[in-house]
Amino acid sequence: MAQSDTLTIPASSFRRDAITGYLWQGSTIVALVLLVVVFTVMGRGVFLTPSNITNIMNQVAILTIIAAAQTVVMVVGDFDLSVGTTATLSGASASAFMLGGMPVPLAILLGLGVGTLIGAINGVLVAYLGLSAFVATLATMTTVGGLALIVTGGTTLYGMPEEFSYIGQTRINGVPMPVIYAIVVAGLMWLVLRFTTTGRKWYAIGGNAEVARLSGVSVRPVRFLAFTVAGFLSALGGIVLVSRLASAGSASANDLMMFAVAAVFLGMTLLKSGQANIGGTLIGVAIIGVVQNGLNIVGVNTYIQQVLIGVIIVAAVLLSAMKKKD
Amino acid sequence: MTLADAVATAVPALEVRGITKRFEGVQALRGVDLEVRPGEIHALLGENGAGKSTLIKIITGVHEHDAGEIRVAGEPAEFTNVRAANRAGVVALYQELSTVPTISVAENIVLGEGAPARAGIVRWRELHRRAQAQLDRLDQRIPLRRLAGSLSPVQQTMVSVARALSIDARVLILDEPTASLTDTEIADLFQVLRGLRDEGVAIVYVSHRLEEVFALCDRFTVMRNGQTITTKPVAESSIDEVISFMVGREPSELFPDRGTATDEVVLEVSALDGSRVRDVSFAARAGEVVGIGGLAGSGRSELLRLLAGAQRRTGGHIRIGGAPLRRQGVGAALAAGIALVPEERRSQGVILSAPIAENIALANLADVSPGGVVSGRRIARLAQRGLESLRIRASGIRQPVGQLSGGNQQKVVLAKMLARHPRVLLMDEPTRGIDVGTKAEIYRLIRELAAQGTTVIAVSSELPELIGMSDRILVMHEGRVSGELDAATATEELILTHAYGRDA
Repeated sequence: MAQSDTLTIPASSFRRDAITGYLWQGSTIVALVLLVVVFTVMGRGVFLTPSNITNIMNQVAILTIIAAAQTVVMVVGDFDLSVGTTATLSGASASAFMLGGMPVPLAILLGLGVGTLIGAINGVLVAYLGLSAFVATLATMTTVGGLALIVTGGTTLYGMPEEFSYIGQTRINGVPMPVIYAIVVAGLMWLVLRFTTTGRKWYAIGGNAEVARLSGVSVRPVRFLAFTVAGFLSALGGIVLVSRLASAGSASANDLMMFAVAAVFLGMTLLKSGQANIGGTLIGVAIIGVVQNGLNIVGVNTYIQQVLIGVIIVAAVLLSAMKKKD
Repeated sequence: MTLADAVATAVPALEVRGITKRFEGVQALRGVDLEVRPGEIHALLGENGAGKSTLIKIITGVHEHDAGEIRVAGEPAEFTNVRAANRAGVVALYQELSTVPTISVAENIVLGEGAPARAGIVRWRELHRRAQAQLDRLDQRIPLRRLAGSLSPVQQTMVSVARALSIDARVLILDEPTASLTDTEIADLFQVLRGLRDEGVAIVYVSHRLEEVFALCDRFTVMRNGQTITTKPVAESSIDEVISFMVGREPSELFPDRGTATDEVVLEVSALDGSRVRDVSFAARAGEVVGIGGLAGSGRSELLRLLAGAQRRTGGHIRIGGAPLRRQGVGAALAAGIALVPEERRSQGVILSAPIAENIALANLADVSPGGVVSGRRIARLAQRGLESLRIRASGIRQPVGQLSGGNQQKVVLAKMLARHPRVLLMDEPTRGIDVGTKAEIYRLIRELAAQGTTVIAVSSELPELIGMSDRILVMHEGRVSGELDAATATEELILTHAYGRDA
């Protein structure tokens, strides 16, 4: 009857044997392992020590939270340029409230509210008013960055109450608090993306919004929610950062946006389908953290670090394009 | 000697002999002949899929033909791209790509020949002079500096005709040029086309509107199944005869027996209004297969999309199982038991990058998520059931849908929707782009569903399919139901008569 109706199986699954196939598919992880090996050798025993590993984790904890925010939005097939300035403004607002005499918990809640509101505005612009995510979040990124300058007066806010520093500076069994937040956020978002209907709907919209709509998914509220969640998580990252540093700069978290996008891109190379995913994002964050820390230890100029990270992103994305073609 | 005699004895402006073309296993053209004389308007007619578009694309160098010969003004012509065809004076105007909306009228007109320039600097005065000359030739007054995108549809058509003239078109091919024009605009266009004909331009006119063909054209050629059926002067034929030329196919044996309809009315639609749909009322019973026919753009697909909640209804009522469907949206329609298998499988039916399991789960998320937690096991069970009951050929439920054949992709869409056990299943072009074997499977499945009491409503452009799979056929014309036929006694002629809005 329908013998002509043959199915296509990518030839590569026959061409390569299992082990090299896995290595190829997981080449981003292989790259991470290689980087660790290289820095261990070049770092003369400093790199792979417990204290330096804790150090790396502390350095990337806030990036992890913001990259988790970016992951959610990129799962939906959009991206959010405003996560960095949102984090900055949320942290700065919370600090300003505290300096104005507001109780610490309330100030934190309001700071989280600021970020959530910015996320919700992005959501309205993209999901309900139909702006492209690029344009909408570019505009909010700029606006929010300006608001952060206004809130801080262009300087750095410091002198927040003692109990606020507890949030970002204490350690539990030697593990810094920011690392714990990062683990909790990543774990929660992994659960949400994998085991909730909302998470599946996010993936479906990212795959094809029209198909999702015709399958009964209410695309607009679900997409709106993704941006709102991203705003909330960015705010959380920003507030933890301010607590850890005990000061709120006027642009303290702005750069994290680019690194977050980079981490998610690196993570997307791990899946054949090229979807954003939390596990991959964590690998991406680890690569960025290892490169930054390792180059510091080896004594390479920090400006070169940024150049190298750009090169790594291009290499990773090229690699994943090659995998897809395969 | 009269003009007609002179025309008849001249060398044909365009001559096509024995063209064949095969696309990946499908014989699109199997020996097509077409002769268009200078100074004639020649209609190219045929049902959807008859091969008209393929032929035009071959003539203008978009596709290459496998065998056969094309001559332009007597000279052999083998165009490998559109520019080469244009240089030889063969220009096709497609309705949807007529102008570049973001540049001026004048720039659009000289687009083909290129803007006059000195040392790379555009000579605007010369550009406007040339553009104006072409508009004058068509007797059109359109401001040269207006952006083409701000023009009315007929003005845009005129601009694209002017562009064709500016590159000295000797053979002008118009594909459905009147689809978005009003009656007075059509009259204007016809006047322009007659003027060009009298200047000796050969015009190939593709249209589904037979009245227009008879008002405008000199001769017509009918294609069917990739072959030329006949060429005749319009004056010696009639619309009814053209329809019979266009149809004339043997009924296929792909279709299972009818006769599963019950007396229980499941779906009642009254005075439904929406985009492209006006005042549609009908009822459908359990176990009944209702076919919806009509020309492209008649509102068939839009009717299905209104019923499925994919488009907003602006008026009218839908009742399913006696209960009114009040809320808008796909979710509400699905909850009420109305499911749609959409027209464009790859962009509307399946997420190509996602596995079969994820695709099937998408319309059934509540089912596979007890307590709001998505269960991988339930998804796997649901998908496995769909895979087996629809005999989807795949390596497993984890295989990405993009790797499946068209027929198996369509089965994934069906599995997704059938898992909801819909009372009314809407299918838009259920077998488009699917091989014959899988087609037969889908017809059998439709009948099995009907036998289980499902109401199936299916839109199809293929008349034998419409007749073969349905119990009853509604034919649409310009947004309204223009005829209702019993499929057992319906003929393709009858369907087309209603589709063209002509009373039988």
